[in-house]
Amino acid sequence: MRGQYVRRSQALAGILLFCALAIVMQMTRIQNSPEAEIFRQEALNYASEWKTFYPNRGEIYDRNGRLLAGQKTVYEIGVDLNTMTDAHAIAFAVSETLDQDYGDTITLLEFPPEGVSYIVLADFVDAKEAQYLQELKKALNAQSPEGVPGGLTGLQFKSHPQRSYPENSLAANILGFVNREGRGYFGVEEKYNDLLAGNPVQVLVSTDPNKANEIPHVPDGTTLILTINRDLQAATEEILDNALEEYGANEGIVAVMDPQSGELLAMVTSRRMDLNQVWEYGNVYDNATDFDPIISKTCEPGSVIKILTMAAALDSKTVAPGTTYLDTGAIMIGGVTIQNWDRNPWGIQDMVGCLQHSLNVCMVHIASQMGAGTFYSYMDAFGLGHLTGVDMAGEASGRLKIPGDADWYPVDLGTNAFGQGVAVTPIQMMAAASAIANDGRTVIPHVLYGMVREGRQYNVPAQYGNTPITVETANTLADMLAISLENESSMALVPGYRISGKTGTAQIPVNGLYDSTETNASFIGWGPTDDPKFMIYVWLEKPTSSPWGSETAAPVFSEVARKTVILLDIPPDSVRQQLVAK
Amino acid sequence: MNIPNVDLRNINIPNVNRLIHAYRVAPWRVQRQWLGNVLLLVVASAMVAALYLSVTSRTAIAGRDIQDLTEAIIASQQASSDLQTQLAGLTSAASFEERALDLGYRPVESEEVEYLVVAGYVTPAPIDLSTTSLPQLSALTIPPEYNQSLLDWLDERVTSSRGPQ
Repeated sequence: MRGQYVRRSQALAGILLFCALAIVMQMTRIQNSPEAEIFRQEALNYASEWKTFYPNRGEIYDRNGRLLAGQKTVYEIGVDLNTMTDAHAIAFAVSETLDQDYGDTITLLEFPPEGVSYIVLADFVDAKEAQYLQELKKALNAQSPEGVPGGLTGLQFKSHPQRSYPENSLAANILGFVNREGRGYFGVEEKYNDLLAGNPVQVLVSTDPNKANEIPHVPDGTTLILTINRDLQAATEEILDNALEEYGANEGIVAVMDPQSGELLAMVTSRRMDLNQVWEYGNVYDNATDFDPIISKTCEPGSVIKILTMAAALDSKTVAPGTTYLDTGAIMIGGVTIQNWDRNPWGIQDMVGCLQHSLNVCMVHIASQMGAGTFYSYMDAFGLGHLTGVDMAGEASGRLKIPGDADWYPVDLGTNAFGQGVAVTPIQMMAAASAIANDGRTVIPHVLYGMVREGRQYNVPAQYGNTPITVETANTLADMLAISLENESSMALVPGYRISGKTGTAQIPVNGLYDSTETNASFIGWGPTDDPKFMIYVWLEKPTSSPWGSETAAPVFSEVARKTVILLDIPPDSVRQQLVAK
Repeated sequence: MNIPNVDLRNINIPNVNRLIHAYRVAPWRVQRQWLGNVLLLVVASAMVAALYLSVTSRTAIAGRDIQDLTEAIIASQQASSDLQTQLAGLTSAASFEERALDLGYRPVESEEVEYLVVAGYVTPAPIDLSTTSLPQLSALTIPPEYNQSLLDWLDERVTSSRGPQ
C-alpha cells in the first residue's frame, strides 16, 4: 500500500515537473524567438517619446497695463479611428457645427489614409463650437443603452492656445500679427518674435508611468510692455478716421511721440485690419508697406522739412532769426527757376516770416548760402537717408541724394531745402525734428517700454542719436516756429498751450513731373514749446477739401494735441508756470 | 509518561551514536528538510514579489497622477490666459466708450479740464508687472529613489559593483 502511494506521488510529481519544464521551455522559446525580438523592438519604440514643450507666447500690454495681445483657448477636433463607432454621426455633427462639407468628412473617416489611426477634422475651433460638440457627445453617450458607446465615441478634443487681440483692430499697425504656425509678422510681433515666442524645450519622456519624468520648467515667452497709450491710440484713430472723411483724403497717418525720450505714444494709420482675422490681410492691404506707412512708406515730406533747413542755417550761423531777405518770388538754382507756393513775391522777410509763409525761395536762398557740403552734412546728422532704429519690423530708410551720387544735380540742393527730391518716412521726420524739441539731440523712436521675464520687469532706457544742432539753435528755432504759428493764427494752435510746428504741402511726383492738382498735406509740431511732452506728425494723402496742410493737417494736429494734453495730464502753460513759481 | 530509570553508565556509546546517525539520515527527515527549504524559498520569493508588486503599482498610480496633474496645470494656465483675454475684451477701449456713451457721458474738452494743485501728488508711472514669486528652477531635481524601479536599482548596483570597464 505504502509503495503504491509512493509510486503514485512520484508519477504525479513527474507529470507536474514535466508540465513546469514544458512551460519554462516554452517561455524560453518564445522569449528567444525572432517574433519576440520584433515585439521587443516595437516595445522600445513606444517606451518613450520626444515631447516638445512650447512656452506660452508672451503677452503685450500698453503702458498702463491694458492687454493688447494675449492668448485664447481653441480646439483641435479629431477622431480616434480605433474607438470610432459611428462615422456618419461624427461626420454629420462636425459638418453641421463647423460648417464643413459632409461628403468630404465622411469620405475621410471611411477611407482614411493607410496606417493612420487619428484624423484631424478641424483645428483652431472656437471654444463655443467645441463645447457644443462636447456636450452633444455627452448627451448621446447618456442616451445610448448601457454598455453601448454613444454615436460620437472616438471624437476627441485637444485644447491649445491661440494668439488673440482683445482690442481687435486697435494699434494693428504697431502690434502686427501671429499666423497659425506661431510666427509673428509685422510690427512688434515680428520684431520681438524670438522674445515673445520663448524657447521650446524637447524632452525624452517615458510612456511607462512607473518611470516618472520631471516635466521641465519651460519659461513663458517674454511679456512686452509698450510705450503706447491705449486710450490715446483709440482717440487718435477716431480723429484720423473723421479727418479722412471731413477732408476727403485717401489715406492718412498720425503719430504721437514723447520728443524727450523717443517713446511712441500713439501710431495711427488709416488702414487697419482686425488682427483676429489674419486671413483678411490681403483684402486690407495692397502691399507690405501699407501695413505701417509710418515706418515703411517713404514720400517727399514737403515744407515740414523747412524746419531742418532753417535749423542747419541757424546752427551754421548762415542766418539769424532777424536776418532779412528780399523775396522776389523766384530764384534760379542749377539752371532751374524755383518759385514760391503761390508764385508771388513776399518782399522783405526775416527768417520767422520765411517759416510763417513757408517761402520756397527763401529756403533755396539760405541753402545756397550754406552750400551743399554744410547743408547735406546737417541733413545726414538729422538722420535723413538712415534708419531711425525704431523697434518695429519693416522700417524703410528713405533716400537723401548727396553730391557725388549719379542722380544728384545742383538743383537738388534747392529743392531738397523745401522738401522735394528727398524721400523720408514719417518716423524719420519725427526723429529728425526731435532734435529741435530736445535741446539739439535726436531721439531714437521706440515702442518698447519694458520686458517681463520670469516675474522680473526690465525697463528700456531712452536712447539718443546724433546732436546735429546746439541747445541754443534748438530753442531759438522752437521759439521762431511758435511765433510763426501765433502770427498766422494757425489752425494748429491749442488754447492754453504754446505750440511749435510747421505745415507741409507736398506736390506728388508722377512719372518725373509734379502733379498740379493733388497734394499730400502734413503738419509736424510739438508742445508745450518750453518743455515738450508730445510731438505729433499728421500726414493726409490727397485731401480734396483743400490742398493745403494749413487747412487740413493743422486742424487735425490741434485736435490730437487737445486730446493728448487731457489723456497725458499735461496742464496748460499758465498752470505749469504757477507750479514752477511755487 | 513514565521515564525509565536508566543507568547511563550501562549504555553503550557507539550504539547511541549509530542510532542518532540513523535518525539524522532517515529518508523521511531528509525529504522534510528539502521540503522546508523549498517552502521557505517560495515564501521568501512570494514576499519579495508582493512587495515589488505593491511598490510598482503605487509608483504607476503616482506616475499617472503626475501626468494628470501636469495636464491639469496646463489646462488651468490656458483657462487663465483665456479669461484674461476675455476680460481685456470686455474692458477694451471700444466697449468702454460704448458703455460710457450709453450712460450719458461725453468726451471732455481740454478747455473744460480744471487742474488743481495737490500737495504730494506724484504722476503715476507706467505699469510695473513684476511679480514677487521667484522663478522656478529648470534643473532636474527628482532623486533616483523616486523614479527607479527595484530592477533598475539592482541593475545599477550590479553595474556599479563591477566597476569601470
